[in-house]
Amino acid sequence: MWATLRSRYLHLSATSLSSSSLTNGSWKLGFSGLNQTFSSSTAQRISNELLSLQEVEKVLSDVRADDVSVVPVGNQCDCADFMVIATGRSPWHVKNIAQALIYKVKQKQKGAKRMVLPSVQGQETGKWIVIDSGRVIVHALDEKARAYYNLENIWTSKTAQKEPVEDLTKAFVKVRRINNSKKPAQGSD
Amino acid sequence: MAASFASRCSRVGRSLMDGLRNNFSNLPSSSRETTCGSFLYQQQRTFIQMRTVLKVVDNSGAKKVMCIQPLKGKKGARLGDTIIASVKEAMPNGKVKKGKVVYGVVVRAAMQRGRCDGSEVKFDDNAVVLVDKQGQPIGTRVFGPVPHELRQKKHVKILTLAEHIA
Repeated sequence: MWATLRSRYLHLSATSLSSSSLTNGSWKLGFSGLNQTFSSSTAQRISNELLSLQEVEKVLSDVRADDVSVVPVGNQCDCADFMVIATGRSPWHVKNIAQALIYKVKQKQKGAKRMVLPSVQGQETGKWIVIDSGRVIVHALDEKARAYYNLENIWTSKTAQKEPVEDLTKAFVKVRRINNSKKPAQGSD
Repeated sequence: MAASFASRCSRVGRSLMDGLRNNFSNLPSSSRETTCGSFLYQQQRTFIQMRTVLKVVDNSGAKKVMCIQPLKGKKGARLGDTIIASVKEAMPNGKVKKGKVVYGVVVRAAMQRGRCDGSEVKFDDNAVVLVDKQGQPIGTRVFGPVPHELRQKKHVKILTLAEHIA
């Protein structure tokens, strides 16, 4: 009951700590915990403002992009949550996919004082365009580039590949040197 | 004897800096006070300039390139910058041959680069990923760790091909 009373008080007055009759240590713990949850929820809200997964899928289906695959990379990489890979039939089609996504973002942010646009890389060549909108990264490739780079192979098998590399238990095992000389090893009689 | 002591200290200092190192985790006040004493232990790393030999960490076929021009930067290239380089050593059957002039993006640099939160990033070696003039990576995979800075510098393609993002 004390915890719920304390949390309600914190929620109402986030900054004023003057009138606290409880112990200061526990008060600070509760406050910092609330602060953390608040900041993470705001971060999610900010990232969803640029482009969300459903909107990306809708735009890609509108533009008739081929072979759309969504890879969840939230556990592997802390920079992005989802990676969407789409194929275009020609360089013009690939550029069109990029333009359609940017248009969608502009529409979403219509009337705002300052527009935050996702960063686009590779716009001049129509071979591989990356649209980086925070948590969702969209790759628009043409078929040749998709077969060449094979992005799904990296990102779907990354979690499987990572585990053998971090096998530290085997790294510290001492291996005896092979004694090819005629003299016996030092220390043995 | 003094020279050997200094070289031993620098070796110790360098071995301590294997891989990624964040200054943020060390005591900040003591590092500033001991700068005059610790200059013996740490090498002063500088920019990537003309004649710098870099390692190639993708599977484009080249092994070592020598920088012939850093694009952008009067003093030289840093982590995340593009350079023009000449291939000095290459695998026998690869997409690039020895002597070819290529563009490259620096993905690991021995010189420290400050991050926005105040920490610094530095690596043990200078490494580059070969790209073409439009910024498309020539290879299909990038080996070793690559830092986040590439995202700010609009090199997300290299980040997606990387095996480990530092």
